[in-house]
Amino acid sequence: MADKYKEYLATRIFTENQVVTYRLLSRAVGVNVNTAKCMLFEFYDKQNAKKPNAVHATFILVGQKKSFEHTNGSNGSGHRKDEDIRMRSSPPLSSMPEPDAEPEEEIRPTKSIVLVREEELEDTKAKFDKIESQHIYSLQPGPIENLNLLSACNHEIATSYSTDDPLERWKKYGSIHNPFIKKRTAKHAPVATSIAAKATTTAVKSDVLGLGRNTSKDTPVRKGTSEGNTSGRSTPQPAAAASTTKKTGAKPALQKQSSDIFKSFAKAKPKAKEPAPAPVEDEPMQGMSEDEGEDEEKIEIDHEKEAAARKVRAEREEALRKMMEESEDDEMPDAPIEEPEAMETQPEEPVDETPAGTEAAVTTEGGRRRGRRRVLKKKKVKDDDGYLVTKEEAVWESFSEDEPAPKKPKPAPKPSTAKGKNVKVGKGGQGSIASFFKKA
Amino acid sequence: MVSPDGNLLKGEPFPDDAYIPSREASAYNPLHTFELPKGSDKHYKQQFADMYFLRLSQLKEAVRQRAEQEWGDFKLGKEKAVKVDRVLDVRQGELCWVIGTVYMEMALKPNILDDISKEHWIFAPPTRDTYISSEGQTEMMLEDESGRLRITGGHLEGNYVTGCVLAALGTEQADGSFEVIATQHADLPRQPQRWERDDSSLAATKKTKPKRGRSGKMAVVSGLDITGTQDDDINLDLLVEYLTGEVGADTTQKQTSAITRLVIAGDSLAHASPIPSREEFAAKNRGKKHYGYDASAYNSSPPERLDEFLSEILPSLPITLLPGPSDPANVALPQQPLHPAMFPKSRQYAKPPVESNESLEGLDSVTNPWEGDIEGWRVLGTGGQTISDLLKYIDNVNILDVMEMMLRWRCIAPTAPDTLWCYPFQDDDPLIVKDCPHIYFAGNQPKVETRVISGVADQEVLLVAVPRFSTSKTLVLIDMETRQVDTVDLTIVTPRK
Repeated sequence: MADKYKEYLATRIFTENQVVTYRLLSRAVGVNVNTAKCMLFEFYDKQNAKKPNAVHATFILVGQKKSFEHTNGSNGSGHRKDEDIRMRSSPPLSSMPEPDAEPEEEIRPTKSIVLVREEELEDTKAKFDKIESQHIYSLQPGPIENLNLLSACNHEIATSYSTDDPLERWKKYGSIHNPFIKKRTAKHAPVATSIAAKATTTAVKSDVLGLGRNTSKDTPVRKGTSEGNTSGRSTPQPAAAASTTKKTGAKPALQKQSSDIFKSFAKAKPKAKEPAPAPVEDEPMQGMSEDEGEDEEKIEIDHEKEAAARKVRAEREEALRKMMEESEDDEMPDAPIEEPEAMETQPEEPVDETPAGTEAAVTTEGGRRRGRRRVLKKKKVKDDDGYLVTKEEAVWESFSEDEPAPKKPKPAPKPSTAKGKNVKVGKGGQGSIASFFKKA
Repeated sequence: MVSPDGNLLKGEPFPDDAYIPSREASAYNPLHTFELPKGSDKHYKQQFADMYFLRLSQLKEAVRQRAEQEWGDFKLGKEKAVKVDRVLDVRQGELCWVIGTVYMEMALKPNILDDISKEHWIFAPPTRDTYISSEGQTEMMLEDESGRLRITGGHLEGNYVTGCVLAALGTEQADGSFEVIATQHADLPRQPQRWERDDSSLAATKKTKPKRGRSGKMAVVSGLDITGTQDDDINLDLLVEYLTGEVGADTTQKQTSAITRLVIAGDSLAHASPIPSREEFAAKNRGKKHYGYDASAYNSSPPERLDEFLSEILPSLPITLLPGPSDPANVALPQQPLHPAMFPKSRQYAKPPVESNESLEGLDSVTNPWEGDIEGWRVLGTGGQTISDLLKYIDNVNILDVMEMMLRWRCIAPTAPDTLWCYPFQDDDPLIVKDCPHIYFAGNQPKVETRVISGVADQEVLLVAVPRFSTSKTLVLIDMETRQVDTVDLTIVTPRK
């Protein structure tokens, strides 16, 4: 490691023309900051002995300034003159019970930390009463004009060396240790990784040399966890994304099939197509209509399904086709854009007649269907002997149902169960829509 | 001139890795005085008038005692001063004293009714440097639950502001105004003993007192004003390097290790207040109109920079973070803690909010104002807006005077809710000082100032005005054993051309 730092500094300063601070050096070579400061001086000394002004430096001076220099010595803190601290431009807020004993003027001890270029070093030193410590802050190939540029190094540390365990830094770099600080393991690691990602890019960009050396083996554990965390977190997302794409992908496929068969129909209302055939023999679809909460309809579907199951395939196909056409006829004029759910229920109604009731004089107006139908109602009657007797009676009742205002063509409702099954069915009938109907 | 072990301008052989002594634990016991109820328990339907009545009723007794003590046998000529219970019961020509809340009518003071009538209630009313108008239309009233009494008198001017509770001695003049000859206020409340809370909680759990060593120092900084641009970076870097003990040589680093806690007293971010100022609003609207969320309008770099700043310091030093007027917290006092979601890196050093609302070690995001026990001392701190608002009422007053008077009035935000936005407290007003602090600091002031004030019952309070770091580059260190204050200046010498 003895010469590692020289190599690093030479590359960094002479080849890449960049600034190195003691902090960056300590991170790059993996030494205590105080050692890094001395390394910088060693390098500075040797290089400038070989060739004057080969390397320029900035220095840190820490100490007490001479008090009268406060105003002109410091930039930005010029107004901190000690003498006017106690100055009062008005009498103190009066009516205080006993005026305080005026606290005597005391000069606060002030420690100054000054960052200065080598050009101004001697002048600045002269302003100090006592210098407590001094060291090189950074080295750069030429005189630096804007000292703010030095912060780029610290930025690089934050991005490139963030894989260090921050609680272990004191051992390596000699910052002040605090045994009481605890860091909880990040449940949400997005930051760590984003930084890591940034780090790698910047590392690649900025300097390949210095980085490769020591970041890798620093704290594999932490790195591992953060990675584990992100993968744990991020996997669901792609999966979800995939599933959505699958879903959306499946739908067009279905549409395409159906349009093969019912060309004209497809032209008329391409949207309503694929939900329409589905419900007839498809169990899962029941769940879907259940979701919609149209109870009556659900019962009807049940009956219909039982009945339908017994029918011969050919018959059903025909019936279905008929239904479709029917529904098309019925609905098209009224509700051109209709919600698939409504479509589903529509075809079934003729079939329902037998078990549930009869529908008569259905009128549709303003998106609302009204009419009368006959239903079987249970009636409880107390007979002569005082027993309760339940009778089933066929009753006519009027009904009206809201047809939901034309929603967007694909409401994409309750995605997981209903849709998923839908997709599955679609897959089963991949070959042609005819075989699709033959199933079950 | 340079001490030998402080000189690192030397080459090989390199020094051994000498470790700086570890930091001591920071004895830290925060109070949650200023925390508002969460979520749906927080209501804004209450009337602000209740706050004044609350304040009056809570302070009346203390003020009465003080006044009775002073004026109990006060006589002017042959007339004895009598106490009058309600301001409306004051009789003309009678020497008496009465207790009430001050209300000041000032020409330039923002008035909510004006704002509503002009329907200019779109953004914050223009901020004024002072409410005092040159024509001097300042009127002072004394108010209690019965009504208002106009008060006049030479020494009232500049000594009281809206919201103070005081006792006034005087007579009512022919024109109906009350000529005040003397005033009294509540003065400093009881001051707890050092370590009182910690000891009592230890006694409650029957534990023996721990042996307490010499306490370290508390560093206070305010007004970092992080903008996310590179201009101020090097100063922040130096601050981080100083606090983590990386800058300087052994002597400096050893001294730094005595710091056991950093308190950030508001305004960490420069332009992050949720309510834009008039200028910011105008600047924003000058461009073309956008509808909906404009991603380009949000700049994430200031909070990221702050997060980075905190996370660099936190492994070595616990931080208490107060929000300030320009921080992304609520605007009304008391400002609630900055949300940990803003600090994805630093919050790993804080306890998750579900577990606990305080982190004794690590990052503790707290309210503004905030009080708590640090090293056994009761510390009260604000982000400074209470003081800057009060200074608008009075000319030519030192900041420390204001801080002192706030404690003596026992109200750290007297001008709330009149000119300072404030939560409408209903049952209890935490802005009233119930326990006298040992250390009272206010952030974002123009320069460092300190003073020790004392009260009748041997209270001793250290007042510290903490300057804005962005302009002064100054960090304040308070020795928690001796309560001495010293400062650290950072200077970047500008290169000569």
